[in-house]
Amino acid sequence: MNRDIIEVQDLIKKYDDLIAVKGISFKVKSGEVFSMVGPNGAGKTTTVEICEGIRKPTSGTIHLFGKEFSKRSKAIRERIGVLPQEFRSFERLTVKETLKYYSSLYKNKRDIDEIISLMDLEDKKDELYMNLSGGLKQRVGVGMALVNDPELIFLDEPTTGLDPRARRGVWSAIMSLKEEGKTIFLTTHYMEEAEYLADRVAIVHQGRIVGQGSLRELISDHGGHYSVVMHGYDTSKIDILGEEASVDSKNNVSLPVHDPKDISHILSKVMQNGVKFESIEVKRANLEEVFMNLTGTTIEEGDAA
Amino acid sequence: MRPIAIINDFLANLRIWYRSKGTVFWSIAFPILLMLIFGAIYQGQGDITVSLYVQDLDGSEISEQFIHSLGDQLQLEDIPADVDGDEYISENNIRAALIIPEDFGEAIYRFQQGSNESISLSLSLDPTRESINGIIRGVVAGTLHGWNNEITGSRDVLTFQEKSVAAEEFKFIDFFMPAVVGITVMTSTIYGTIFRNTKYRKWGILRKLSTTPFTRWEYLISKMLFMTFISFVSTFLIILVGVVVWDISVSIDPYLFIIVLSAAFAFSGMGMIISRFVKEEETADSAAGAITFPQMFLAGTFFPLEVMPSYLSSFARVLPLYYVNEGLRDSMIYQDSSGALFNTAVIFTIAAVLFVIGALVTKWTE
Repeated sequence: MNRDIIEVQDLIKKYDDLIAVKGISFKVKSGEVFSMVGPNGAGKTTTVEICEGIRKPTSGTIHLFGKEFSKRSKAIRERIGVLPQEFRSFERLTVKETLKYYSSLYKNKRDIDEIISLMDLEDKKDELYMNLSGGLKQRVGVGMALVNDPELIFLDEPTTGLDPRARRGVWSAIMSLKEEGKTIFLTTHYMEEAEYLADRVAIVHQGRIVGQGSLRELISDHGGHYSVVMHGYDTSKIDILGEEASVDSKNNVSLPVHDPKDISHILSKVMQNGVKFESIEVKRANLEEVFMNLTGTTIEEGDAA
Repeated sequence: MRPIAIINDFLANLRIWYRSKGTVFWSIAFPILLMLIFGAIYQGQGDITVSLYVQDLDGSEISEQFIHSLGDQLQLEDIPADVDGDEYISENNIRAALIIPEDFGEAIYRFQQGSNESISLSLSLDPTRESINGIIRGVVAGTLHGWNNEITGSRDVLTFQEKSVAAEEFKFIDFFMPAVVGITVMTSTIYGTIFRNTKYRKWGILRKLSTTPFTRWEYLISKMLFMTFISFVSTFLIILVGVVVWDISVSIDPYLFIIVLSAAFAFSGMGMIISRFVKEEETADSAAGAITFPQMFLAGTFFPLEVMPSYLSSFARVLPLYYVNEGLRDSMIYQDSSGALFNTAVIFTIAAVLFVIGALVTKWTE
């Protein structure tokens, strides 16, 4: 887990007047799942596509497997697997034919039946790609990224647009790769996806990395440990909870708690002031809160921006 | 009933309609294009110059009067009286000729003296130009009818016998078939290239391929192999159907192979250049239609260039399909090796230029 597979330094990408990536630096280590998280338009796809060789950087350096970007060759392409964003394959090839086609482009090959089994596609291997559901198509896409048995796999928003069940199916496929020790560079705007899959996360906002590290580090540094959510709380009396308390769209009152021992103090304060509420919930802090604390917006608001 | 809802629905439909470039093309631009092309072909017939070569073997005052009476409606050209008419027609690639026999004037005179003998003129026409032939046939028959009325009041003393200018007796389908090969190669390669490039780009397939060891040139070569294969398969099937069903006599020579190969490269190159500018899948259809339909109608596929106004026939000569059609006819039907060589050279050059430009503008990475 020590060798740097990807090393990006001061990456900048401009499209005419728009600066999509504003000096990003990060490293991805061998065998880890590294996730770049952020709203649409944050610069995730531009960054990953530069690492894949699809786009050219305006400035900055990219090293893959210790070799500088400009010196990339077929030899490096043999070692990476890619699932592009919003990818669709040939409609009138079956799953197996599709995997065989992509396999034929590489010298290194992984057994197709093994990939089909790993992606849990045995029942669908003779089905035309066009007849598959969105979730199955993405699993085929992940499978396509494995045909050359790559050391590094890029998955650009692999679950966007999928329903929760299909998303779980893709997660399970990615977990299988993680168990195999593959290095995975995953971009997503689903926080729970990064929480579930990633060893390390980089939060991207408006072309910059605003925070990166393991989930535990990010939460510890930027998220607080817990939050107390009170349902049916009289919001006119929110002042007694202090400045950190907030009201969400369902009128629930939420309060970050840095030490679990503080929860009992909060409850006694509420009781002493005679404020009533229907129920209470204690939540661990998550990436969503980290994102909010780092950017001042929710990821949905970031999308709209 | 809620009129506002109906109006809003109508406006929404209108918005959806004009935002779909393909629909706008097929419902507005295509019929206008057709109307303009066919309108120019048929409406502007006053501008059309239809040539008829005439050999006057009689050389009498009456035959000169007869020729003069044809001349108002056709552009007449002379075939010298001292040459063999059929040989002259063949050697000079003349596609419409009328031969007035030696005793034309004498026979009319004899008829006026009570003879029952009729006189037959020889009208040689090129079966490939059926729409022009109709004009010439009509003028000649009408003129003869006028003369017959003048001479006899009713009987057809002056008649004409029609024959093909080609050495063999060809049917129209013999001459049409090479154009079918031409338009098939054109449509399959242009539509195929534009649709594939647009879809593959939109679906991320080109981006995916660019991350593999597969190179852009390998991709282009494999696509060209496929297009060429499809072009030859369709050519073979069209010829097979022509031979089996229509009993067409087809000559297979190296020109046929070079022209089909060049056509596949030329039209694929054209498709690559167009697809560089087509951003959406929905627009691909109209872009391909905009390129193929004018060529189909203007390049001498269905109508000879002579039936078109001069500005349209000049335009047709810059269209690659014109040289494909002409070259295939020269090669497969006329067995005119000099014509086939010229057209093959032109389409080969066009193919080289278009394919190189197309290959250079086809990018799958930034």
